[in-house]
Amino acid sequence: MASTGVTIKESAAFRRGKMDGKELTAKQREQMMEKILPLDPDSSSPSRSSSPSRQKYSKQTSRQSPKRKPGVVKRFLYVAVHAIISFLFSVFFRFRRSYRLVKSRVIAVMYHHHRTPEFIQRDIKQLERLPKHLSVILDFNESDEDQGDAGLEGLLNNVCEIAAWTASAGIPMLSIYEKTGKLKNYIPYTHDSITSMLESYFGSRKPSLSVRAPHVQSYTPPRSSSPSHVNGNKSDQPHLTVLLLSSEDGRDTMIDLTKTLADMAQSGTLRPEQVDANLIDAELCEAVSTEPDLLVLFSPTVTLKGYPPWQLRLTEIFHLPDNKGVNYQVFLRSLYNFAKAEMRVGR
Amino acid sequence: MADSLHNSRFRKWLASSPPVAWSVRQLREILIGALRQGPIPNHVAFVMDGNRRFARDHHIETVEGHSLGFEALARILEVCYKAGVKVVTIYAFSIENFKRSKHEVDALMAMAKLKLNQLSEHGALLDRYGASIRILGNRDLVKPDVQEAIDKAVALTAHNKKAILNVCFPYTSRDEITHAVKKTVDTYSKPIENNTPSVKRPFSETHITQHIRKQMLKTVPEDSAENLQASRSVSPSSSKELDAAEGGQSSSTSTAINLSDKGDAHGASPTYPDPENITHETLTDNMLTAGMPPLDLLIRTSGVQRLSDFMLWQCHEDTSVVFLDCLWPEFDLWHFLPVLVEWQWQRKKIQEQERISRSTQNGTRK
Repeated sequence: MASTGVTIKESAAFRRGKMDGKELTAKQREQMMEKILPLDPDSSSPSRSSSPSRQKYSKQTSRQSPKRKPGVVKRFLYVAVHAIISFLFSVFFRFRRSYRLVKSRVIAVMYHHHRTPEFIQRDIKQLERLPKHLSVILDFNESDEDQGDAGLEGLLNNVCEIAAWTASAGIPMLSIYEKTGKLKNYIPYTHDSITSMLESYFGSRKPSLSVRAPHVQSYTPPRSSSPSHVNGNKSDQPHLTVLLLSSEDGRDTMIDLTKTLADMAQSGTLRPEQVDANLIDAELCEAVSTEPDLLVLFSPTVTLKGYPPWQLRLTEIFHLPDNKGVNYQVFLRSLYNFAKAEMRVGR
Repeated sequence: MADSLHNSRFRKWLASSPPVAWSVRQLREILIGALRQGPIPNHVAFVMDGNRRFARDHHIETVEGHSLGFEALARILEVCYKAGVKVVTIYAFSIENFKRSKHEVDALMAMAKLKLNQLSEHGALLDRYGASIRILGNRDLVKPDVQEAIDKAVALTAHNKKAILNVCFPYTSRDEITHAVKKTVDTYSKPIENNTPSVKRPFSETHITQHIRKQMLKTVPEDSAENLQASRSVSPSSSKELDAAEGGQSSSTSTAINLSDKGDAHGASPTYPDPENITHETLTDNMLTAGMPPLDLLIRTSGVQRLSDFMLWQCHEDTSVVFLDCLWPEFDLWHFLPVLVEWQWQRKKIQEQERISRSTQNGTRK
């Protein structure tokens, strides 16, 4: 608090609006603030307060002649300090990144799914709550950046892995956002790939699966073709819904909705006053998806890349700083974070 | 416990002794000046979360926590404007917050009124920062006396063009989006006065322009990114002009299209603007943040990793969202500096990547 450079007496005066028992007037407050304020934009003359700072830091700026204009000296000082700060922080960022990488490697070794749902279930057994609707943001990588998930195959592989983890954790709903929406063109193929991945995890007890995208009919393959559907027809069989989202489902869908509403208003079937949050919410839930409980990013920083805005309202957003690429420990740690549980490395 | 209390008192006394206070102030100035040497975000948003928890942790009244939060806000605003941030948006009060205890809501309202009135007494000082205040939100929900204070403060600073302070006060993003949709629907449901008949053609111009626009979007994504960058680098006033010019253009084209489009409908039924002209710019212009530069950085304190109905429309594209663990009353330059430096660092890396990808593309083209 005191690090702003305001003395105790002054800050107390600001807080209470009184000084020495008397009410402060607007004038007095202005006088007290005077030294912190920036210069009047009109007066270009150097202020008094800048000269001592010059003396104090003249050691750093000794190469500059002190008789130069104070603006130049100050500017040089700023550039120098900026260079120092940038350098220190870039060293710091690099160290932090390697530390985090090592840490995540350790966790990745300690917790590994081994393609076995039981292992995943054991990992999340102690969690008190799980999201009902999980959402992830994936990237379509044009080129391979030493992660081995370039192109459509790599993306699809990531989708399959995540779907298998989600199913193992017992989360019924998974929505996958990928900006370009390439996967939407291959829904049956995606369904097949996820099914075979689930088979490799669960064997014959695999959960049923439906893959859909907004504005596209839900794809569940013809029942007769897959024998597992016949013998696994019990009601307690878990089901996984995978929803594929792209940037069209964000702003563009909201614009489509606005267009439709405008059309209706023009034809007189709707008055503009009838438009309210509930109506929009109901329409968007129907057309796109419901609000996810947890959004997991596999990117090193949080940028939402056009994720549907309306649905993001109360979603918990998880990312692992400096992480790159899809891996199981990000998924697991997001669930731990969601349940507000501590993840113990040395259990 | 007592020892640490004593220590903190001693630290406080030391930090606020005039020479130390003076050097800290100088250090702050230098750091801010240094920050200015790199790229600075044009638009920063803060979710001021953690006032209540801070009060609970320090065993003070909730209301006291809020007023400490206000002090933190003043500090951070100073940093932002001195560093050259053009627009600062703060989440002061959510519509959901009306559900809190009446005592707390009343106290918050009183505080808002008091601070706004105090602000109005210092018009000349605000001019030095060149900041104008805007209150975003559903103002029908606040009491008339607070509304009066709001109007006074807004009117007093309206002429300042250098920087903007957006105070989101009874605000939720869904409310804002709903308003924008409603407003758009409202404008499009009003018939156009001017209806001169014209020749009917089998093709719709809107459709064609839309088609072309779509193709352009598909083929030259780099170009659009460049445009975005260019528009980011210009000052907000000029970008506002640009927006205004664009808006004027689009509205004029829309009427033109409608004129040629409406040949079949002339006579009895009134003509309406074509809803196909609604784009995301239309909605953006109807948001409360219309005409402001895109949101570059959103900071939420207190470790909660949610947007909580704040700036959903504005931040879901390229905004860097940062979640910090410190509580809002503790938030200061020392927390803000690493965030800004990291942002600058990332910005630099993104630019480098773009340069590399552009050069490789040029190489393959040759």
